[in-house]
Amino acid sequence: MPDRVFTELQRDALQEIANLGMGQAATRLSGLLNAFIELSVPRVRVVAVSEAAAALREMTGIDGPVAAVRQGFRSEIKGEALVICRSGEIAELGSLVGGRADDRNDDAHHGTPRDDDALTEEELMFDVANALTGACVSSMLDQLGRMPIFSQPGLLGEAIMLDQVFQPGLLAWDVALLVEVNFALEDQRFRAHLVMLMAEESIHVVSRAIDALLHSL
Amino acid sequence: MNAPAGLPSLSDLVVERVGFGIFVVDRDMNVLMWNRFMQDHSGVPADEVIGRPIFERFPDLPRAWLTRKVESVFQLGSFAFSSWEQRPYLFQFDHDRPITGGVDYMQQDCTFMPLMRGRDVIAVCVTISDVTHVSVMQREREEAVAQLREYADRDGLTGIANRRYFEARLADEFQRWQRYGGELSMLLFDLDHFKRINDEFGHMAGDTVLRSMAQRVSGVVRKQDVFGRFGGEEFALLLPCTPLDDALYVAEKIRCTIADEPVEVQGVIVPVTASVGAATARTGAPDYEGMINEADAALYTAKRQGRNRSVALA
Repeated sequence: MPDRVFTELQRDALQEIANLGMGQAATRLSGLLNAFIELSVPRVRVVAVSEAAAALREMTGIDGPVAAVRQGFRSEIKGEALVICRSGEIAELGSLVGGRADDRNDDAHHGTPRDDDALTEEELMFDVANALTGACVSSMLDQLGRMPIFSQPGLLGEAIMLDQVFQPGLLAWDVALLVEVNFALEDQRFRAHLVMLMAEESIHVVSRAIDALLHSL
Repeated sequence: MNAPAGLPSLSDLVVERVGFGIFVVDRDMNVLMWNRFMQDHSGVPADEVIGRPIFERFPDLPRAWLTRKVESVFQLGSFAFSSWEQRPYLFQFDHDRPITGGVDYMQQDCTFMPLMRGRDVIAVCVTISDVTHVSVMQREREEAVAQLREYADRDGLTGIANRRYFEARLADEFQRWQRYGGELSMLLFDLDHFKRINDEFGHMAGDTVLRSMAQRVSGVVRKQDVFGRFGGEEFALLLPCTPLDDALYVAEKIRCTIADEPVEVQGVIVPVTASVGAATARTGAPDYEGMINEADAALYTAKRQGRNRSVALA
């Protein structure tokens, strides 16, 4: 039923907007990480939050525990972005985001001062999530003529199940526009999934913005 | 809103007086703006940093990290963040909490904002908020939770483990024993004729006896054993890696520790003895409750045989 929020025409347009946005995001991320980034063709779906976990399990093929970072974005269109990856895969990113994950305790153990430029695993996860969210959400909203402001990323959990990610009490949304895109790095096993969640009100703004865009063509 | 020529605009005044740090850098990390908060906390006035690379006056900054953060904002055109929980501070600023706060420097949340002209990022604005109070509160909360957890495991009167905690540890040890084998024993013991002590000397005296016995026995148990109050005048001792023979030896030691010296309560000498039942985990036992029942039966036998003794069912 939630999928009736958009007309077929609007959904096609939204898919196109997401494609363009992600293309742009991939270019920017490749520049930042100095590596070839593959961003999948985004899958767009409107679901009730109670169905979100199941929808996402199906879209990502993830059944086990995940690490999830949430981040709010705000403009006339506002919502939350979640970056989800399999628990424990973050560490494999190593030097890609520029720093390397290090173990502070280990440093303390050896009595050497902590290298201030090294990243902890949690910091690395926030950086990856923030870069993905920033690039993808900005690029998509840019297509709709909006420039969002982001809030600080927060950790939902390091090893939680998708059902826990979408606990109705944790997220403020009833209906969610899922824009699932997965992000892979050349020659790396690491995969991250970005999901955008928007409340009904923002979904209506998106719908109007799409109409405006379609009219201007 | 435009101010008359030569006078600062309203936004200039706000940036100047606002309660968090604001500064702007270009892609080469030259400082373009530096507000009053930054000046007050760093001791470096705006005219000494503006137009220069930020690292010139602040060589202690995490150079590669900060450069990378700023560069990511230029490249992606979107925000970047840093939280005190991962990186307690960017600048070494003093905080206004008393020293008892337990944090060395002002804890900071930083936001890196792209300043856009059209679609180009022309500079990056960094804001620094003082979140020292949040970090102090969080630590206090963590300490309170740890303390609550500790209380939840302790018996209020004697300060030793309570029954809930004892059984939880027994369940753990029993599971370990089921998986890896070895030896696992436990004792249940009960102060003899405790009701008489209560009746004769009053409940306060009874409580004192319980406390002092708990303390005495605590002094003779091994560190890896779990000693708990099982209820009323009944105590339990969990003995990991201990066969039944050794458990009986421990039982005798405890019985003697209790009986050898009477307790003095408000000038009155109260003799106390205890009966002890020992049990061990036996092959094929389905759960730890069986062990408790066996110890209980042994304890009952000790009572029936005349008290002040240790018994194990063969």
